[in-house]
Amino acid sequence: MDVDEFIETKDLAKVYTFGTVEVAALRAVTLSVARGRLVGVTGASGSGKSTLVNLLGGLDRPSSGSIRVDGRLVSDLSKKELALYRRNTVGMIFQSFNLVNAYTAVENVAFPLLFAGVAKSERLRRAEELLVTVGLEARKDHRPTELSGGEQQRVAIARALVNRPQILLADEPTGNLDSKTSRQIVEILANLNKHQGLTVVMISHEKDLLREFADELIGLHDGAVVDREVLRQPL
Amino acid sequence: MRISDYIGQACGNLWKKKLRTFLTTSGVVIGVGALVCMLAFGQGIQRNVTDQFKKLDLFNYVNVFAAGGPDRPGESSDPDDDGGRRAEHGRRRGGPVPDANQPSPRLDAQALERIGEIDGVEAAFPEMRFPAQIRLGAKELFTLVQVLPADVGRSGLITLRSGACYASNEPNELVISDSLLHRLGVKDPETALGTKIEVATLTLDFSFTRLLQMVFSSGGQALPFARENYAFTVVGVAGRMGFMGPLPMQSDVLIPPGAAAKMRKLSLTSVWDLFAPSGGTASYSAVTVKVKSPQQVEPVKKEIESQGFRTFALMDQLEQMRIGFLIMDMFLIAVGMIGITVASLGIVNTMVMSILERYREIGIMKAVGATDGDVQRIFLFESGTIGLLGGLFGLSLGWAVSMVINEVINILMARQGAPRMDYFSFPWWLCLGAILFSILVSLLAGVYPTRRAARVDPVVALRHD
Ligand SMILES: Nc1ncnc2c1ncn2[C@@H]1O[C@H](COP(=O)(O)OP(=O)(O)OP(=O)(O)O)[C@@H](O)[C@H]1O
Ligand SMILES: [Mg+2]
Repeated sequence: MDVDEFIETKDLAKVYTFGTVEVAALRAVTLSVARGRLVGVTGASGSGKSTLVNLLGGLDRPSSGSIRVDGRLVSDLSKKELALYRRNTVGMIFQSFNLVNAYTAVENVAFPLLFAGVAKSERLRRAEELLVTVGLEARKDHRPTELSGGEQQRVAIARALVNRPQILLADEPTGNLDSKTSRQIVEILANLNKHQGLTVVMISHEKDLLREFADELIGLHDGAVVDREVLRQPL
Repeated sequence: MRISDYIGQACGNLWKKKLRTFLTTSGVVIGVGALVCMLAFGQGIQRNVTDQFKKLDLFNYVNVFAAGGPDRPGESSDPDDDGGRRAEHGRRRGGPVPDANQPSPRLDAQALERIGEIDGVEAAFPEMRFPAQIRLGAKELFTLVQVLPADVGRSGLITLRSGACYASNEPNELVISDSLLHRLGVKDPETALGTKIEVATLTLDFSFTRLLQMVFSSGGQALPFARENYAFTVVGVAGRMGFMGPLPMQSDVLIPPGAAAKMRKLSLTSVWDLFAPSGGTASYSAVTVKVKSPQQVEPVKKEIESQGFRTFALMDQLEQMRIGFLIMDMFLIAVGMIGITVASLGIVNTMVMSILERYREIGIMKAVGATDGDVQRIFLFESGTIGLLGGLFGLSLGWAVSMVINEVINILMARQGAPRMDYFSFPWWLCLGAILFSILVSLLAGVYPTRRAARVDPVVALRHD
């Protein structure tokens, strides 16, 4: 495997146990993603896409196998180090947005900075800056319930960016959106990838959008990589 | 995370659920209020008693008893059982027991004189009391009359509100407490000076006619007692006499020994008196000694004991008293803790609810980089804030309630002629302790729920429903 690879997994497996029943969500996934690539992940429901992304994002730990990001063994990090990895290295976006309903848009974007120990004025300044980037400066004091799905997802993207991560992980970011809005969201992610060099891993069922914007595609089936397609060669 | 952010988060989250915060905090307020009330009452009693003891110089007194005590009839010609009880006490409390073969010295006038000459003794006087009926106009009350020599009475031993102690030992004059005057219906004690008061004693009458009367009477009216009336003039009114005072002040009426000698009296409380030989040299059941300072108590006690008498000093009881107060405090705390316990269960409930409601938010916190510790501390600050608010308002509530109770007690006590006083005491450590304790309890109540919050699995919390 290429040493230059930014994200590498080796024999990555995740088994969920319910009493005596074991569900293998992922089995021996070995793949690598170079820095600055936009990778699309596809697969049927229950094929293990979310599980893979959660492991890459440090939200969960593998049952076996390893994850290496930028040379660091993420799968070996302590609980606290893993929290710092989530805080500083990755940004995550979800199908259901996962915004805090009690907070305004700007407060949601600033939320991660709270844990980073950033002063309040600086938190708000950076959050507002990012809302401008996603074109939502006018809605900064609105709560998620007052925003459309696309707007909420843009707030979520701004929040994912606020700690200046190197990797953006998106779990079906367009799953709850119509095709027009979906396109806008994917465009934003693609722009971040092109202009800011963020490595993006995006789960999506929308093959057309992926073919248009992704550099490569990974197909999952039953917890294993069954398909890998490079659409654009790295520069 | 910054401390200011923890505080901001806690306040913000509590503010969002105003009603719930208010109700939970109210529980803590009531719990802390009750505890504070209890402890302040305990402190108040403690302070009042100790202050009273200090004010009345109680720690400057030593009681002396004949080594044999009044157990030997004939030794005690003084009609006072109280001394007998004290002697029992003194015996139990120790002091060197004189050789049983050696006859114990008599506690008589000569002994009194010798004790009075001991270094550090300010005054020594015999304890002589007898029961009597005090009559003023139509009102009649039963009380104990204390015989106190004029020189002792004038030595500054008793504080008078008006008038002065009788000048010699002979006249039929008395000093009376303002509370007894009050009970006798005198509103203004200043006006009582010069008033004639009747002191009536009961004496045994074993005359033949009396016995006959007894045998044939039907109503049991005719007990072998004869009532004798003596007229006394009020020359002094003493303030604050009562059971807590030193011996001369434990009675509400003081009369000089000369006048007392002319009275036929009977102690209803002393059986021995019935068999006491009339006449003969009087020996006292007890002598009260006032020393110049509490430091003098020990040396004076030693000296008196070396003369063969038993002693008792309240000073020795100080440690016992402290333990007593400690037990009382423990009891009050135990009762007060009931409220706190209930309140802390309320906090646990509120925190569990809050954490369930914010399950997804906890997942978000973790996804954006909160450590388990961050999550736990965010919630601990919330329960701690409930504790702080509960402590502050609980202290205020406890203070307010105690003020009301204090007022009510004072109004009731004023009817009994008791002076106004504060029954509650709020030392600074009680106030500070109440707040800190409230915070501590709230934090402890938060431990289980917040640990649950810290352990939330973000993958589960964030999975769309
Ligand atoms: N926390 C969990 N506990 C138990 N089983 C789980 C858990 N998460 C996922 N699984 C199981 O693991 C398998 C893979 O789930 P995963 O969520 O990764 O699928 P997915 O590809 O994201 O599906 P979808 O497209 O529906 O989101 C499924 O069979 C699922 O039931
Ligand atoms: Mg999924």
